Amino acid sequence: MASEVNTKFLQDKRLDRIASDILRPVGVDRSFLIWMSSLTMLLFVCLYAYYIQLDKGLIVTGLRDYVSWGMYISNFVFFVATSLVGMLISSVLGMMGYKWVKPIGRIAEIIAVAFSAVAGIVIVSDMGRPERLPFVFMFGRIQSPILWDVTVVTTYMTLSILLYVFTMIPDMAISRGRIGHTPPWLQKTYELLSFNFQHKPEQYKILLKAVRILLILIVPTAFAIHTVTSWLFAVTTRPGWDSTIFGPYFLTGAFVAGSSAVIILMFIVRNNYKLSRYITVEHFDKMGKLLFLVSIVYFYFNLNEYLVPAYKMKTFEARHLIELFTGEFAFMFWSVQLLGLIIPMILLLFKSMRKPAPMFIIAIVVLIASWFKRLLIVVPTMEAPFLPKQNVPDAWMVYHPTIVESAITVGTITLAVMIISVLMKLFPVIPIWEIAEEESAHPDQQPVE
Amino acid sequence: MILKSIFFVLLNFIVAGLFAQTTPWDVPADRSAKLSTTAFTDQNRNTGRNLYQANCKSCHGDPGKNNVIKLVPPPPDPAATQLQQNTDGSLHFKISEGRGAMPSFKNILNSAEIWNIIAFLRTFNKDYQQQLAVKPTFGGEVFDKVELKLTADQTHTTIVAQLTGFKGSLVKPIAGLEVKLFAVRYFGNLMVDKPMDTNAEGKALFSCPKNLPGDASGNVSLVAQLSNEELFGLVKTESTLAIGLPTDRPPLNEPRALWNVVQKTPVWLLISYLASVLVVWGFIVVVLLKLRTISKLGE
Repeated sequence: MASEVNTKFLQDKRLDRIASDILRPVGVDRSFLIWMSSLTMLLFVCLYAYYIQLDKGLIVTGLRDYVSWGMYISNFVFFVATSLVGMLISSVLGMMGYKWVKPIGRIAEIIAVAFSAVAGIVIVSDMGRPERLPFVFMFGRIQSPILWDVTVVTTYMTLSILLYVFTMIPDMAISRGRIGHTPPWLQKTYELLSFNFQHKPEQYKILLKAVRILLILIVPTAFAIHTVTSWLFAVTTRPGWDSTIFGPYFLTGAFVAGSSAVIILMFIVRNNYKLSRYITVEHFDKMGKLLFLVSIVYFYFNLNEYLVPAYKMKTFEARHLIELFTGEFAFMFWSVQLLGLIIPMILLLFKSMRKPAPMFIIAIVVLIASWFKRLLIVVPTMEAPFLPKQNVPDAWMVYHPTIVESAITVGTITLAVMIISVLMKLFPVIPIWEIAEEESAHPDQQPVE
Repeated sequence: MILKSIFFVLLNFIVAGLFAQTTPWDVPADRSAKLSTTAFTDQNRNTGRNLYQANCKSCHGDPGKNNVIKLVPPPPDPAATQLQQNTDGSLHFKISEGRGAMPSFKNILNSAEIWNIIAFLRTFNKDYQQQLAVKPTFGGEVFDKVELKLTADQTHTTIVAQLTGFKGSLVKPIAGLEVKLFAVRYFGNLMVDKPMDTNAEGKALFSCPKNLPGDASGNVSLVAQLSNEELFGLVKTESTLAIGLPTDRPPLNEPRALWNVVQKTPVWLLISYLASVLVVWGFIVVVLLKLRTISKLGE
């Protein structure tokens, strides 16, 4: 992000074209209403499942004494992980001066906002007595990573929302008088969110300073959020979790999941909103390379995480690894490693695979695999306690998620999709002012669609 | 055909028998022949059940349900013949002494408590008929009451256990009986010196260990007990004597520690946590103030 904005783009004719392109899909249309009502209906079904859980307690889930962290906590880790991409794209790549990330920065921020907000809700779904949530703040211990986690998730969500709102202020101002086709309440919202922005150079100066602070703050916070999430596991001595590389292992995994989420949204924006002029084939190629880079780092951490204990085969670690490699979880484990990591990495080496359509499919597979990867981190370890399992019903020995539990999990994903849909449809999904400034500064460079 | 089946069933038994075989557990003849001097009552069985639940169930499971812990060799289910074929004395010996994974309970349970457990175990054996031992007497002498008393000498080098019998107005020291002395600690008592016989004055003299840790004032809880529980029943006394080294160990929840309550958070953690939160949220406030400035500039 530049330290100064050349405001001459405001007089440039290109701004009109860019603004009308990006603002055209904005608003409430029929397909959006149908989409949102279907999601709302689905959400209500899932809320009914949550009502059952509230009424009967966690007994309606597959969680028992041994596996007390199942699908919910895996889902939580997945949400936290995916949200980290906001930091990677906007902060790390943005601040390093990579201009190509400008059109997709807001998409990454939308993912960060939606996924970090829902992550907090997912944690509540794992609580048998959610009304005791305030106890965390009343009686929480600073010594417990759980309190650290609550702190960083809240902080990261706040920073992501602020970054999203701040970078959108000039767009809100540009949109004045350009969104006549949208409902009046939305125009009011735009007016409110523009914070009296008049494109004055002083305003830009303060805005850029604030955004810079946010971009810098978000890096350590994002590192903290996922490192602390990994510490929830790694501070125990249990096989599969007792690892010193869990922090970076989780972080790199998060970038894989987040990058694929960004690619999926990029494809949808490009095709549904007809914005192929701004999110170009070139962007998919770059994101493909980025996904390859984060995947190969993640692969390296996977190698460390599994090969080193597998070489030593300490009693309990061995039992855990055999369960993953050849036992009950082998099918899921190898599917996740092959489909979610190794095959995508090989495919991404080919330029033809870094085109929008193949990338879209690869990203969907990688994102689904990364959800199951979290399940593989949580469940097998919980199913293998140090002391023998005895004197318990057979159903307690192995974890079987129930329909209620799965429905609640689907509900959280639905909620995230709803937040993303609202933010993408009702607000400019590509930063108008940044694109206009860029094109105005380099009028000779025309994007390849 | 039938012969063939019988053959295979027998073969199966033999093979299974061979693999199930473990080294026999030899019980000395005198211990194996030992019997309880009192008939098992329902009260004994109830006490025995509670003791079983507390001490035995974690490995031997619920009698008759065959849900024992998976060990090699497996601990027998109490209802199984493998266990029930033991004599009362053998069971008493095996519980007292232990072997391999089976712990010794002689310093955890007293003899009467072990007999109570046996009384409970025998409820799972329909064919069991209790045989009673003849109650032994002490040279024909009968007392109303037998007492042990613990004292330490001035220099704390010797602990004296005084065994006295009372009969009417007669008070008589009892000689020639073995007394055991224990220091009370967590997880089973610690034997002090070795078992000692009472002398002609009824005194058993134990030499006092120099390095026994006591509490902050050097107090040690001691238990003395007559080894033979059949003569006079359980004769036991507990005393706290200042024979140990004064040891002042603050409890684990005293200092600041990771496992302690929030008020006792380690300082380094408190500072790191609060500093990080304050710095980040301080900047968030700064950023929000900038939002106000932007808004004001536009008016």
